[in-house]
Amino acid sequence: MTEKLVEISDVTKNYRRDEFSIKVLAGVSMDVTEGEFVALMGPSGSGKSTLLNLLAGIDRPTSGQIRVAGQSLGALNDSQLAGWRHRNIGFVFQFYHLIPVLTAFENLELPLTLTKLSRAQRRKKVDLALDVVGLADRKDHYPRQLSGGQEQRVAIARAIVTDPRLVLADEPTGDLDAASAQEILDLLEQLNEEFGKTIVMVTHDPRAAERAGRELHLDKGRLNSATDTALQG
Amino acid sequence: MFKLIRRNLLRNKRRTILTVLSIAIALILLSFLDLLLAAMSGVNSANANRLVVRHAISLTFSMPAAYEQRLAALEHVEGITIMNWFQGRYIDDRPENFFPRFGTDPDTFPDVFPELALSPGEIDAWRAERTAFIAGRALAEEKGWEIGDVITVEGDIYPVDIELTLRGVFTHPTDEAAERVLYFDWQYVEEALGNPGQINSFYVLLDSPDNMNETIAQAEAMFENSPDQVRAETEAAFFLSFLEMMGNIQFLFSAIGLAVIASIFFITVNTMAMASRERTTEVAVLRTLGFTRSRVLAIVLFESLAVGVLGAAIGLAVMPVVTGAISSVLATQGITFSELRLDDRTPTLVMGIGVFLGLAAGLVPALQAMNMKIVDGLRRVA
Ligand SMILES: Nc1ncnc2c1ncn2[C@@H]1O[C@H](COP(=O)(O)OP(=O)(O)OP(=O)(O)O)[C@@H](O)[C@H]1O
Ligand SMILES: [Mg+2]
Repeated sequence: MTEKLVEISDVTKNYRRDEFSIKVLAGVSMDVTEGEFVALMGPSGSGKSTLLNLLAGIDRPTSGQIRVAGQSLGALNDSQLAGWRHRNIGFVFQFYHLIPVLTAFENLELPLTLTKLSRAQRRKKVDLALDVVGLADRKDHYPRQLSGGQEQRVAIARAIVTDPRLVLADEPTGDLDAASAQEILDLLEQLNEEFGKTIVMVTHDPRAAERAGRELHLDKGRLNSATDTALQG
Repeated sequence: MFKLIRRNLLRNKRRTILTVLSIAIALILLSFLDLLLAAMSGVNSANANRLVVRHAISLTFSMPAAYEQRLAALEHVEGITIMNWFQGRYIDDRPENFFPRFGTDPDTFPDVFPELALSPGEIDAWRAERTAFIAGRALAEEKGWEIGDVITVEGDIYPVDIELTLRGVFTHPTDEAAERVLYFDWQYVEEALGNPGQINSFYVLLDSPDNMNETIAQAEAMFENSPDQVRAETEAAFFLSFLEMMGNIQFLFSAIGLAVIASIFFITVNTMAMASRERTTEVAVLRTLGFTRSRVLAIVLFESLAVGVLGAAIGLAVMPVVTGAISSVLATQGITFSELRLDDRTPTLVMGIGVFLGLAAGLVPALQAMNMKIVDGLRRVA
């Protein structure tokens, strides 16, 4: 039996802009099973990023319930949520968002400084994660000394260095050329298949979505789960 | 985390260095003003129980020596002594050889200045010899004088060269500046001049500070109808009036000081605001990685604090050099303050302001970083 890692039930999200309230998510329900690789697609402005942010616990829904690994996110206060994010979520951004003043190694070490791990233990974890993304030889390079594809691989290494159960990626290939995008997708696939990471990836690219085991389509804040596709692959 | 703070400081090296340096310079200027003011007002060594009587017109006028007897007769007067500014030239005109040289009356001086500690033997030796002098310990150590040493001071205001023998070294319990003074028997000069009987000022010791105002009024009233009217004031006020010719210096200095603090505050605020605006996204990323609000607050505050403390530290390190340089420049202009030196208070004051500047400048950016919504921070670049 595979268990449900993510359970989203009837989530809505409104953003207030001046006096107007924009309904970004209008009642979304979905589950993600442990070990799944899900692609989240949809037109621009459909609420994909918003949904991903809610899953990551960096934003809160207007209404509805989100449970990740059995934990209801609404029950946590801000600082509990920060700790929860640190333990359970690896987040990959479209624009990598590495800290420019830190080397690749130090960027990976950064989330580990929040733990009680010793220096040596941190070093081991960082080296391992850099190995997985194939950039062990670049660990002393600063982000500006890396290509976009390499930066994104370091960012993925940062996302997995704390060994989270859920990896969330918001258009991870959106800013990359085709070849680098392939590398990134290979890497995500590997994380999913070899390391059993559950992945939810937002993407505009149908070919990227093909890599996932399941595609979900968001449109105007609603999920068209009819487009669930186990056909591909 | 400290690595991150350190690297962030080095991110825009020129900006950080400029800010740190301007804090350092401002603090040097500030504490220099403070020292100057303290030195000029002589508040360090002023005794609340003493008042000074001098000529009503100006310090450069003197009064008949006979006033001493009449002032001594006032109800609350416990002791009185004379004080004449001899000035003169010791060895040469270099600033380090300029220190106050006062002619006084060894018979009455120790009673009026009880805080200057001299052994009974030294007092007796001073009184016994017309050409004897006493010096503060700080001064004697600086000049390497030993008891029995003879020094010569060439007269300038007065056309008399005096040759003096050191017979006593006194100490002041708290104020080293009070130890950089030489006192000798005015009678020596008085006789050489043919007994003109003119006195610059009388130092009057009262039975209690409570009687200060009353005695001031009595003293001034006593000579109201004389050709030489007097002004009486507290010792601290006297030190200040010494400088009144330069205008309202205390006010001026405080205003300059405040302006300096204000401008440096805005510079630091601006630096920190710029630094943190650039980093909005990074803060959002840190928070996404699991950094709590309070940790983010601490990171920004620490960085800002480091700028302030660094500035203060550099300021303190260079201050002795700068203070020395400015005092020698002033000295060549004939303005000399024997008391112009760094004291224990300076590091505390400078560090305090540095810490305050750092924290105050970092507070708003730190709170902004703390209260920012992660999603808003992440949307900034896209
Ligand atoms: N923090 C916010 N404040 C106000 N409005 C927001 C905020 N975040 C998102 N929105 C609005 O919500 C809607 C959905 O945004 P979201 O970023 O989720 O879309 P998306 O599907 O990720 O689009 P894209 O494919 O362009 O990234 C948009 O209209 C956007 O303007
Ligand atoms: Mg998006």
